[in-house]
Amino acid sequence: MPKRVAIVSVAQSAGAESKDNFYDQAYWITKEVLDKAGVRKDDLGTVISASSDIFHGGISCANAYYWEATGAFLKNGSRQDGESLFALFYGALRIMSGHYDLVLVISVCKGSENPDLDSCTLMYADPFYQRNVGLTETMAAALQMKMYMKKYGVTREQCAAVAVKNLGNAVRNPYAHRKGRYAVEDILNSGITSDPLTVLETAPKSEGMVAMLLASEEKAKSLTDKPVWIKGFGSSLDSYNLGDRDLLSGQLKNAASRAYKMARIQDPHRQIDMAEISEPYAFQELLWCEDLGFCRPGDGAGMLESGITQRDGALPVNPSGGVLANNPYVSRGLQRAAEAVLQIRGEAGERQVNKKVRTALAHGTHGFAGQCHAVVILGR
Amino acid sequence: MGRPVAIVGTGQTRHGRRMDVCYPELVREAVMAAFADTGIDPEDIDGVVSGTMPSMMEGVALTHFYFADAMQAAGKPILKTETCGSTGVSIAHTAYYWVASGMADLVLAVGHEKMNEGDSQATMTTVAEPFYQRFFIAGAPGVFSMQSQMWTDRYGIAEEKLRDAAAYISVTHHDSAFDNPYAHIKIKVTMDDVKNARIITYPVRLLDVCPNSDGACAVIFASEKMAKKLGRKPAWVKGVGYRGEEYYFGDSDKAVWQSAIEAAKQAYDQAGIRNPRKELDVAEVYNPFTYQEMLFYECFGFCGFGEAPDLVLKGVFGRNGELPCDPSGGTLCTNPIGATGLIRTAEAAMQVTGKAGDHQIPGARTALAHAMGGVDQFNGIIILGSEL
Repeated sequence: MPKRVAIVSVAQSAGAESKDNFYDQAYWITKEVLDKAGVRKDDLGTVISASSDIFHGGISCANAYYWEATGAFLKNGSRQDGESLFALFYGALRIMSGHYDLVLVISVCKGSENPDLDSCTLMYADPFYQRNVGLTETMAAALQMKMYMKKYGVTREQCAAVAVKNLGNAVRNPYAHRKGRYAVEDILNSGITSDPLTVLETAPKSEGMVAMLLASEEKAKSLTDKPVWIKGFGSSLDSYNLGDRDLLSGQLKNAASRAYKMARIQDPHRQIDMAEISEPYAFQELLWCEDLGFCRPGDGAGMLESGITQRDGALPVNPSGGVLANNPYVSRGLQRAAEAVLQIRGEAGERQVNKKVRTALAHGTHGFAGQCHAVVILGR
Repeated sequence: MGRPVAIVGTGQTRHGRRMDVCYPELVREAVMAAFADTGIDPEDIDGVVSGTMPSMMEGVALTHFYFADAMQAAGKPILKTETCGSTGVSIAHTAYYWVASGMADLVLAVGHEKMNEGDSQATMTTVAEPFYQRFFIAGAPGVFSMQSQMWTDRYGIAEEKLRDAAAYISVTHHDSAFDNPYAHIKIKVTMDDVKNARIITYPVRLLDVCPNSDGACAVIFASEKMAKKLGRKPAWVKGVGYRGEEYYFGDSDKAVWQSAIEAAKQAYDQAGIRNPRKELDVAEVYNPFTYQEMLFYECFGFCGFGEAPDLVLKGVFGRNGELPCDPSGGTLCTNPIGATGLIRTAEAAMQVTGKAGDHQIPGARTALAHAMGGVDQFNGIIILGSEL
């Protein structure tokens, strides 16, 4: 039986452009997460960070740059690329292996020093066939959205309603970058990014340093009386070529079923109290809710319209405002997990949901039309 | 240490200038070789760890996407580990922890680089930040020549002896590469060739430097239960060590190099090794530069500080010496960077399982593999043994 792993402390930076330089941002968020737990950097066994060279301000080998700013000097550390929930998983694996009992997991992404996100995601496209036609994450999502609308008869208005909900939720979130009380019409008239996606249905480019302290069971009990346990996690990678994939039946089901199995969740709709889902494109929240088993395929829009996923609903989704409100690309998955931790601890401030949260789900995705997904289940 | 973990199979490409294949095909070549070596199918794998150098190297970012199919990873759990030059060993460490945690029984680790499709030195220049360091430590040789000079100055190593020792390392490794079917550079060189080769960055000359290689490596890690079920001779992981230090080059001592010393110490402590020169049978040291290889011998406790050149010239670290180092020809003859640390790991596994062919060190039971990265700031070690 693998060892249990707890999250004992979380910290996150605000998503709008910061006046601090990269080093200072990484340092301050590290210090904050350590101070909150009452530990010093010398107490850390290992540091696992997440960052991507393509989203790193033109500096390659990202973790070489910020290594000592994250308390990793002369420590055993490593880095995960692309998805910050990978860093959470790797940190957990290091504790479960019995080698470490206190792990810093940190994700760093300073959006203001990066080009437009799709200038970066274009570099996911192979240089021979797909890059020449300008395939980016936004373009792939637009193709996926059209297929989704066609298959289930979902309207643009129903997709825009996700942005209305999430940008409205973000008004209560001091860390969110883009926020506001919008009508469906405002969302639809905000300009087109890649037809049919509009500007407010496409996540912005944000800054985001997110840090988390993981501890073994024994260590967690000495550090906090409110540990949040990692109950289950899973990831899954899809094939590369868009044409080889079923964009409406992707790998999220696989990633989720791995996490559910580990967390012994048979009925996610009932057993999960709230979810923080990565929806860089508004309609994806509907599709991902279906893949996560919160509702039947094609029922995502109906679920939203019923109010269930509202902040005061039975299964709130993205009470923080989600990725549409704040999109520090690499950090967004870990930020979802940090928000879920705050909800479980009852420390989410004005964005706290109106129900007791025992079990929460956090999700991250990256790649064309969700080529890769990661899911973690957290609980009391 | 957690649950016992073994390496049960390895696969390498023929490394070199591989214009006959595209990048995904190169990756697939190593992955399928590892499956063939292990006698399992892709369906048996519980998780995949992928890694490479920065996206600027070949101009493709987040390469786990591009290689999902080549790695046979579609539908699999995935982790993507990158730590600059030490990536290969960090990939191996990730696969180790994954199995040691009890969350997987079979994990595929894949490292790769197709350096002839990019400009490696331009890429490495961007590892230095753009405000202070990038203007004067462009590329790898600049950093390592400064380190070499710090070390020779510290220990007062005579220039003639230093050049002889470096040339000896270059000659013997280039000879060894002929015995390694996967090696890239296979040329016969003499001491005079090395000593008279053109200067790259003083004291580093052309034959003191590794090449730009295309290559991939795949290694399969297994739990004890699975290793026994497979019934093949495994290489057991005995120790994993890693350390990183300051980013700004001038902030650390690169002669008495703490990240190298401490990484080795962590791995030795886990493996119960007190006298590495006696207790190790073979070492695959990450040696992109001849001078740096000697520095590693000292930091890893193979000999005292300042002693390496004398011992090299006595043949202590040669193929028939007390502790043979890089019988594969090492990084000096083959360097597809994102794969290189994993190649060191695979070679160490091949040595302790008696599968190294013409470059086998007879009776090798304990082996060390190593990789280095960052702006001379990361060192990772893995120690493998033939017995659990």
